[in-house]
Amino acid sequence: MQILTQLVFSGIALGMIYAVIAFGYQLTFATSDTLNFGQGDALMLGALVGLTLVGLGVNYWLMIPLVCLFGAVQGAVVERIGVRPALKIKSEFGWIMSTIALGIIFKNVAENVWGRDDLKFPSPLPESPMKFLGANVLPMEILVIVGAVGMMLAVEVFNRKSIYGKAVVATFNDRDAAKLMGINTGLVITFSYALSSLSAAFAGVLIAPLTLTGATMGAVLGLKAFAVAIIGGLTSGMGIILGGIILGVAETTTGFYLSTGYKDVPGLVLLLIVLAVKPAGLFGKTAIKKV
Amino acid sequence: MKQFLTAVAAAAFALGAQAADPIKIGVAGPFTGGSSSMGVSMRDGVRLAADEINKSGGVLGRQIQLIERDDEAKNERGVQIAQELINKEKVAATVGYINTGVALASQRFYQDAKIPVMNNVATGSAITLQFKDQPENYVFRNAAHDSIQAPMIVEEAVTRRGFKKVAILADSTNYGQLGRADLEAALKLKGITPVAVEKFNIKDVDMTAQLLKAKEAGAEAVLTYGIGPELAQIANGMTKLGWKVPMIGSWTLSMANYIDNAGPGGEGARMPQTFIQEPTTPKRQSFIINYLKTFNPKNSRMDSPVSAAQGYDSIYLLAAAIKQAGSTEGPKIKAALEDLKTPVEGVVTTYNKPFSKTDHEAITANIPVFGEVKGQRVVYAYPEDFKKASEVRVKDVNAKGAMEQKKRQ
Repeated sequence: MQILTQLVFSGIALGMIYAVIAFGYQLTFATSDTLNFGQGDALMLGALVGLTLVGLGVNYWLMIPLVCLFGAVQGAVVERIGVRPALKIKSEFGWIMSTIALGIIFKNVAENVWGRDDLKFPSPLPESPMKFLGANVLPMEILVIVGAVGMMLAVEVFNRKSIYGKAVVATFNDRDAAKLMGINTGLVITFSYALSSLSAAFAGVLIAPLTLTGATMGAVLGLKAFAVAIIGGLTSGMGIILGGIILGVAETTTGFYLSTGYKDVPGLVLLLIVLAVKPAGLFGKTAIKKV
Repeated sequence: MKQFLTAVAAAAFALGAQAADPIKIGVAGPFTGGSSSMGVSMRDGVRLAADEINKSGGVLGRQIQLIERDDEAKNERGVQIAQELINKEKVAATVGYINTGVALASQRFYQDAKIPVMNNVATGSAITLQFKDQPENYVFRNAAHDSIQAPMIVEEAVTRRGFKKVAILADSTNYGQLGRADLEAALKLKGITPVAVEKFNIKDVDMTAQLLKAKEAGAEAVLTYGIGPELAQIANGMTKLGWKVPMIGSWTLSMANYIDNAGPGGEGARMPQTFIQEPTTPKRQSFIINYLKTFNPKNSRMDSPVSAAQGYDSIYLLAAAIKQAGSTEGPKIKAALEDLKTPVEGVVTTYNKPFSKTDHEAITANIPVFGEVKGQRVVYAYPEDFKKASEVRVKDVNAKGAMEQKKRQ
């Protein structure tokens, strides 16, 4: 029983790492039906900028808002350069290539600025584990869970309660109608990209003390997060969290009960099943596309 | 690097090298990426040796010119570089290779071109055996191969420290899986079956499942075969689970990115080492002082002392062979390497007839000692080894402990 608790806890911690990144996919999808495939690289840039700031003597907690600001600017740049031209000409797939291309450019820049080695991110919390229901948990893992849920709640509240949030929702429901109603949809989309990269940069500094920090950290995490976004559904905040936990727990339990050589398989099999049975994701709303 | 080349060129000019062309030696290794701490240390050791030789007049009255290339630990890059160094640069010989896979993919071009390759870091057992069935074998090595390391690890864990239940954690690359097979074979010779054999991928961030399996199986020690960053995640995972058993593994546990990323949780890990950064002989002392002075590494700690020392020695071995051959033609250098008349005093050992026609391994099982991570650097694990370190351990072809090297692909 204690083993299972430990596996589930570690799985939840791992899953929440995936979920915070997946959340960024959801944000841009909600406004523009596009995804930032450079999400993993936005995370990596956030973590490395954070590491540099901490190295300059900035306190970890003070550094977070600075990194968020950097993330927002970075996201806006991605939208302006990569996504807007594609949306303008109503290209269905142009943004896919351009966000991937920008991601690769960011990675190469990071390799030249920070080198290609994995670096240690100093942990702001004690690194000794705590006992919880007979399982060991790191304080940093709890911070990741709290931070991720907190960030998602903040964005949800913003979308539902504030007038700007309503503009975001309106843009998602019908971009053209929203435009006719006087909403500056272009700005809303730029804003959603800024928010999405902000959340990725925030996720980066949140998880960096647990993973290692380096130019290549985004690749694997970004891909797993994409699977989480598909499993949970690209339109559901709740689904992202549950999707993350499902994938994380599937990885740790398969690793233990089946074989560590196959630990990535069940999550991806689940992805295939979800795509076949419920393409909108486990918790997603099926959208009917009228042509 | 440009600066270095100009420095070499300037030195050559100043000495008025009788207008003789420099002797070109290729240097290939990963200078960026996950194994770069080994690659860069190796390159720095090579530079140091070449610089010293050039300052004292070069070889055959000619200067050594290094042609350095970054293979990024990628097989296909290694192949391109091999072709460039052979066909365009026309090197006399090449030193390097950190990654077994890159070495196996690249060195066939040297074999075909009849140009010697000195592997100074890669440890895969198959490397020197790749062309064993051909009449002439151009591949040499001055690093401790896995058939030495795996039995050493098992000897340390089972015989010296008395652990009967051990778990193996290895990464899913060629390096990790060939090493795992060697470890299992070495354990079998002691009549022991590991209680758990687990795998992990490069860039894995969570080792809970692997470690819990080892823990549940009652492992008293964890034997590892992987590289720095993931080894650090294993140590971090143990700290998290509050389960601390000794980590004993291949020499990569001495990598700077293991020691730095694992922090206090990485202390106590043990691994076979051909060289430990301690001035135990005058040669080692001058090597360490010159290295620290020239490259000024962080905290006066070499990123990978083993790679630096072996890189340094590889150039001296080649220089001795070129001098004896009186020529830079590949077949003649190879013949000289196989029959070196004068001993070469290196950092790792004194090479007295290091190679023969059939034996292309300079390091035998009696040479490496056990290192231990202590205070964020690698020190001698056993005080008696440290005390006797000034007696240089020389090659002993009859040394016990190595397994038979098998050709594997």
